[in-house]
Amino acid sequence: MENKKGTAIVVTSGKGGVGKTTTSANLGTGLAMLGKSVVIVDADIGLRNLDVVMGLENRIVYDIVDVVEKTCRLKQGLIRDKRFEKLYLLPAAQTRDKSAVKPEQMIELVNELKDEFDYIIIDSPAGIEQGFQYSIAGADLAIIVTTPEISAVRDADRVIGILEAKGLHDHRLLINRIRPDMVKKGDMMNREDIEDILAIDLIGIVPDDEEIVISTNKGEPAVIEGRSLAGKAYMNIAKRILGEEIELLDIEDDNEGKISKIFKLIFGK
Amino acid sequence: MKNGTIAFKGVNDGVYLEIYGSDMDKIKEELKTKLAKSSGFFQGVNFLGVSGEDLSPEEMLEIHLILKYRYDFDIDLGDDLLDRLYMIYKSKRELESSVVKNSKEGMTKFLYGTLRSGQIVEYNGNIVVVGDVNPGAFLKATGNIIILGTLKGVAHAGFNGDNEAIVAAYNLIPNQLRIADIIVRAPDGDISEYKLPEVARVYDGEIIIEPYLPNK
Repeated sequence: MENKKGTAIVVTSGKGGVGKTTTSANLGTGLAMLGKSVVIVDADIGLRNLDVVMGLENRIVYDIVDVVEKTCRLKQGLIRDKRFEKLYLLPAAQTRDKSAVKPEQMIELVNELKDEFDYIIIDSPAGIEQGFQYSIAGADLAIIVTTPEISAVRDADRVIGILEAKGLHDHRLLINRIRPDMVKKGDMMNREDIEDILAIDLIGIVPDDEEIVISTNKGEPAVIEGRSLAGKAYMNIAKRILGEEIELLDIEDDNEGKISKIFKLIFGK
Repeated sequence: MKNGTIAFKGVNDGVYLEIYGSDMDKIKEELKTKLAKSSGFFQGVNFLGVSGEDLSPEEMLEIHLILKYRYDFDIDLGDDLLDRLYMIYKSKRELESSVVKNSKEGMTKFLYGTLRSGQIVEYNGNIVVVGDVNPGAFLKATGNIIILGTLKGVAHAGFNGDNEAIVAAYNLIPNQLRIADIIVRAPDGDISEYKLPEVARVYDGEIIIEPYLPNK
């Protein structure tokens, strides 16, 4: 195999349920759709989800713990995506816990993966304990996912602090699940509020979109269909990772509720 | 699991050393502390030998040598001790491999209730689940696996190579099925559900699933 020396990107947040796994699946798939070879690593040992979101659960034979413990070869642990030839998944183990992998093992694994892939997306578990520590161990870039809630932003702030202390200074912010109607009314933090607190570069904003729920349940990342707003937003972020300059998606107009549109028609404003 | 614990056990005509696990460093460490505490206690006692299920013949020999030369145990090493240890080791392995055909008869483990994601049950024999097996749960049996409920997780019957083993469930919709060394996965997309129990078995080197018809 030729020496690729790919880039390892960890997707992390501190807080749970803000969309790390959804982001990992969509960015990984998006990059593969753009012609890159990608492996998505599920680092959430004991609570694996990424395989379900990708629709690859039934293909798992070996997992990340088998690979780092060398009970199987790296190639045996990788699952090829059913839609894209250059996209692979390394699933987490379900019957083990976070103590099964050490940061040094993760660095070795990521280095090995870098020889074969352009991008390695690491889906970190929530929290800042062991699982988080080994997830960030081999990463070159961190994408910090947050939602427009004060609790998620606080956790993101904490995580950025830890990343900097660990020497990972290359990080970008992804604001997930924003609702333009609520922002407009002043009920939700807007982009500026969050950027003010966290003071790191923004890589994208993903609107709250029920398509995500549908696509997650189908095991098909939203970026594939590409018609949903969230899917488009994720594709733009994938392009930005490749260095393209793309304007932030104008989510305000598209996402205006149907009901409010009808109201406007009837009442004139 | 007990790892590297040792115990001196007394029986009618003497004392023997029982060793659990296979961590040699730990075993030696414990041997040291145990014998330091009770030095002289074993003098004049008829020492019968060492029993260790998980140790290789070489490791057993090492223990024998330590006991004889460091702690002055009265052990007759003889020239053929290693050969004898190999014989014991071999016969033990043969005994294990002779009970491969668990799918015909043998011990059975009964599990009541729902097996959930992340739970793993491994058994040398048959497994019967009175309940459901959720996705992410993993059953491994050397014999058959019978589920009186829904199988959505992964079941591996005959995992030590018995391809006559079967997997049967009232509602058989697993993510993945394994019998002996054959692995199959559920097809992508929706699968039609039978309202009948189904049985998976190996036929011509492939796993086939057929509805269970009571009047057969």
